[in-house]
Amino acid sequence: MITVTINGKLARAKEGEMLLVVLRREKIDIPALCHHEAVEPYGACRLCMVEITKKEWDGWKNMVTSCLYPAADGLIIQTHTTDLIELRKTILDLYLARCPNTPEIQELAAQYGVNQTSYEQVADPNDCILCGLCTRICDRMGFSAISAVNRGHGREIAPPLKEAPPDCVGCLACALNCPTNYIKYTDIGHIREIWGRKFELLRDARTGQPTIAREFAEYLSKHRNIRQDYFEQNDESHRKETALGLGKIAIWSREVPQ
Amino acid sequence: MNSRFIVTPILCTGCRTCELACSFTHAKDGKVGRSRIYPLDGGFKDLYVPVVCLQCEDPACVKSCLVDAIYFNENTGAYEINTEICVRCMACVAACPFGCSLFDTQQNLVIKCDLCGGDPVCAHFCPTKALTYKPIAI
Repeated sequence: MITVTINGKLARAKEGEMLLVVLRREKIDIPALCHHEAVEPYGACRLCMVEITKKEWDGWKNMVTSCLYPAADGLIIQTHTTDLIELRKTILDLYLARCPNTPEIQELAAQYGVNQTSYEQVADPNDCILCGLCTRICDRMGFSAISAVNRGHGREIAPPLKEAPPDCVGCLACALNCPTNYIKYTDIGHIREIWGRKFELLRDARTGQPTIAREFAEYLSKHRNIRQDYFEQNDESHRKETALGLGKIAIWSREVPQ
Repeated sequence: MNSRFIVTPILCTGCRTCELACSFTHAKDGKVGRSRIYPLDGGFKDLYVPVVCLQCEDPACVKSCLVDAIYFNENTGAYEINTEICVRCMACVAACPFGCSLFDTQQNLVIKCDLCGGDPVCAHFCPTKALTYKPIAI
């Protein structure tokens, strides 16, 4: 265990732990859009910048992304200095120029007092901030169905060749973790559509309620050795069946003479 | 980890006190839908079975989790979900053959019984001792 100073208060941290994790644990409100514990830090959104210094640095300071900077002993961290707030304002100003209609960005910008972008707006705005969280989560889950394509202005998140992705299993992890809800999907009845590909959802045999996509269930049963008929019931049916099964055992064990 | 959570369905009266205790413990508003324990009809007259996570050996939820968000807590003997790591793909909810990995639609979180960190509140509130948490010899 090492000791760091956060806004004048001492806090304990593990060696090599990223600063953002320590700050979040100390209940300090640091905005971050591209951070997720399941994947490696990436430093794309730049909103989690903090100011660090050490006693032996003779007053020199450095601004770093806290999600990418490992904690070290004796680090002195400032999270809400005037410079940092100005920096976050500029970043949010730029985000507003790119995604003016995104509620999550608007809310965050309003917290920092930015209501209108001072830059020229992008001609065809969309909600994607290109943080790459969706592609990192997809890689982490082992599918790698989507990735960032093109460079510079034309950079966007898309499946290979912008066709229906063959590796996608319809798990929705990308869409549900997108910080700006850019990735759209539709669940109509037992058909799920995402990235232009249609998936058939498995249905509960008794109630007909959808569970997970057939491709996802096939992947799990093949690679993780889970019986596929587990996926053909939803959790409520599983519970009812468990209650009936355990009830039979309970009655049977009561009738057995002790 | 010398204690086990023991469910004795024959003693259960279906009073649903455990459901309320669980809801009030894990959610401040105490909605019954947030409960991790479900006293359900056992198929016989006056028989109720409290269905709760069995903390299986080699569980399907852990096998199905592709981001390793479910881990075994050595101190309590419970499998717990790290909600920071969870990506909400619902694989564990669909995979659990006992239906004890649940999705909380209000908070968009996957929840399951974590034995309240080693002291299950439902066991304290059960009036007939159908739910007990006691040390057993291994």
